[in-house]
Amino acid sequence: MVNLNQYPPKNGRNYYLALGLEGSANKLGVGIVKHPLLPKHADSDLSHHCEMEILSNVRDTYVTPPGEGFLPRDTARHHRNWAVRLVRLALKEAGISDPSELDTICFTKGPGMGAPLHSVVVMARTLSVMWDVPLVGVNHCVGHIEMGREITKAENPVVLYVSGGNTQVIAYSENCYRIFGETLDIAIGNCLDRFARTLRIPNEPSPGYNIEQLAYKCKNKDCLVELPYTVKGMDLSMSGILGYVDSLAKDLFNKNTKNKLLFDSQTGQQLVTVEDLCYSLQENLFAMLVEITERAMAHVNSNQVLIVGGVGCNVRLQEMMASMCRDRSNGQVHATDERFCIDNGVMIAQAGLLQFRMGNTINDLAETVVTQKFRTDEVYVAWRE
Amino acid sequence: MSQEVIDQIAAYLTSNIPIVPISQGAEAVVFTTNVHPYEPINAKTSPNDQSTKTKYVIKYRPHKKYRHPSIDRALTKHRTLGESKILAKLSQLPGLHVPKLIATDVYNGCIWIEFLGEDLPDSFGFSNLKNYLWMHASDPYCDDVKKTLIKVGHQIGLLHWNDYCHGDLTTSNVVLHQDNGHWEPYLIDFGLGSTSTLVEDKGVDLYVLERAIISTHSRFAAKYNEWIMQGFRSVYEDEGKKGQQKMKDILKRFEEVRLRGRKRSMLG
Repeated sequence: MVNLNQYPPKNGRNYYLALGLEGSANKLGVGIVKHPLLPKHADSDLSHHCEMEILSNVRDTYVTPPGEGFLPRDTARHHRNWAVRLVRLALKEAGISDPSELDTICFTKGPGMGAPLHSVVVMARTLSVMWDVPLVGVNHCVGHIEMGREITKAENPVVLYVSGGNTQVIAYSENCYRIFGETLDIAIGNCLDRFARTLRIPNEPSPGYNIEQLAYKCKNKDCLVELPYTVKGMDLSMSGILGYVDSLAKDLFNKNTKNKLLFDSQTGQQLVTVEDLCYSLQENLFAMLVEITERAMAHVNSNQVLIVGGVGCNVRLQEMMASMCRDRSNGQVHATDERFCIDNGVMIAQAGLLQFRMGNTINDLAETVVTQKFRTDEVYVAWRE
Repeated sequence: MSQEVIDQIAAYLTSNIPIVPISQGAEAVVFTTNVHPYEPINAKTSPNDQSTKTKYVIKYRPHKKYRHPSIDRALTKHRTLGESKILAKLSQLPGLHVPKLIATDVYNGCIWIEFLGEDLPDSFGFSNLKNYLWMHASDPYCDDVKKTLIKVGHQIGLLHWNDYCHGDLTTSNVVLHQDNGHWEPYLIDFGLGSTSTLVEDKGVDLYVLERAIISTHSRFAAKYNEWIMQGFRSVYEDEGKKGQQKMKDILKRFEEVRLRGRKRSMLG
């Protein structure tokens, strides 16, 4: 039996308050959540039904010029510059005048980029010492999963976690989020971001979103540019696809009429546009994702899918997933919008508060070391049965 | 199972070929039928015809609506063709037992293969290795089980010795077929099969099977795996010095795969 009420809230209140700090990539997010203390949580697995209330969810994204990615050093500087302002703003929005009221401060322990993670954890340690609030280190992927479960109320879904740094198909089993399939090289978001860089399209609001919009404008949807399809069992590989589509885009920009896929060999007329490339890339990558998700669902006999992570707000991906689920009996898709899909502080607060309620807090600052490599299946999920 | 998929294949096969669905995976649906695709009906080839002899399996890869039609067409063709080719090649290898390929239609994603196995007594279900081991759970270490598992290991050894990999070895993907009162194991479902000279792929194959046995028959798994490996080694040991060396490489890699899990660790 899971008892989420073992550790009562501070000062005899009937609710928990948690602050979450997230900064594993180019977004700095601060979120504050509130869990009511309910008797029904004392003896059952209701971790997807905490009746969470979001008091504030603020975020600032470090946006680079077109054709450039975000470098760790610059991203870390961005986070350092914004950390205090965002925490102040979050506290103000939540209406918390005395921050020592907080039950816990949660930070991203990993995985992510080293320098940004580090600047955020320094902030977390400072706040913890200043306000005398215990710290909780959260796995970024578990944060996404717990957030998705709480928002969509999906009880035990197969999780497709797709973002700039991760591509994993995950299912829960025996106190562990097991990875069934994952990328063998680069993540899907990374693949899309790097293609956007080749195309020199803006990174605002996000490169993946701009590719999605270009793909909608594709006029020739019947005729797909053929790309490699690299599903290996339950895993997939995307670096080869990126290399190939990159070379096509370069040929297109350089007007290399020798490329017969792009230009008519007799007249030299252009056959393929940038929009066509974006459309084909999306169709190809998402078909691979949906296929491995379907395999995992068949494997664990589940009919629910939860899509989390930044790429999860892509409407086309959600459509394809829904279409796959319709062909399975009682299939359901759960997805969230950009407020929760894209990295944010609330998800860290949600997963961290669950850990806190199970008594998993950090007592010594020496344990707050962040790590770039922290796999989803290394976390002991005490709050589920 | 979705009715739409059944309607799809029923429309393709027409009402002359009645089908009974038996299982659904992520990629394909499997049916049985009594009709042979090209032999005349009622032609009894074998004099002592058993009921299983007239049964055939149809493996159908349905159209997936979520993916772009041109991706779907290319994949269905590629995978059906790949599986048919592997089955055809494997059936020519001496000593290796796989179901016979009868017909294939790569554009419609349809494969006809020979039906193997039967129903086990006392409602233990179909005679795949999983149900067979459960049937013998009361006397797990009897001679019959030992002999069968050594044979299973022998089949996998032959497959690997000829540089083929199965890709999805589980106890439900081994079917037992009665032959003169003995159970002969047949490997089925080569949907993820490939030719490979890499020790990595073979090590992963063995590891996947070991995990499958541990998770479905955990109490007796140690002995079961030992017997399977005994059969596996016997193939390589018969091949002299070269076989010994190859086996050493595979077993070493198997050990490594076991330590790190199926996935290569993403560190570094």
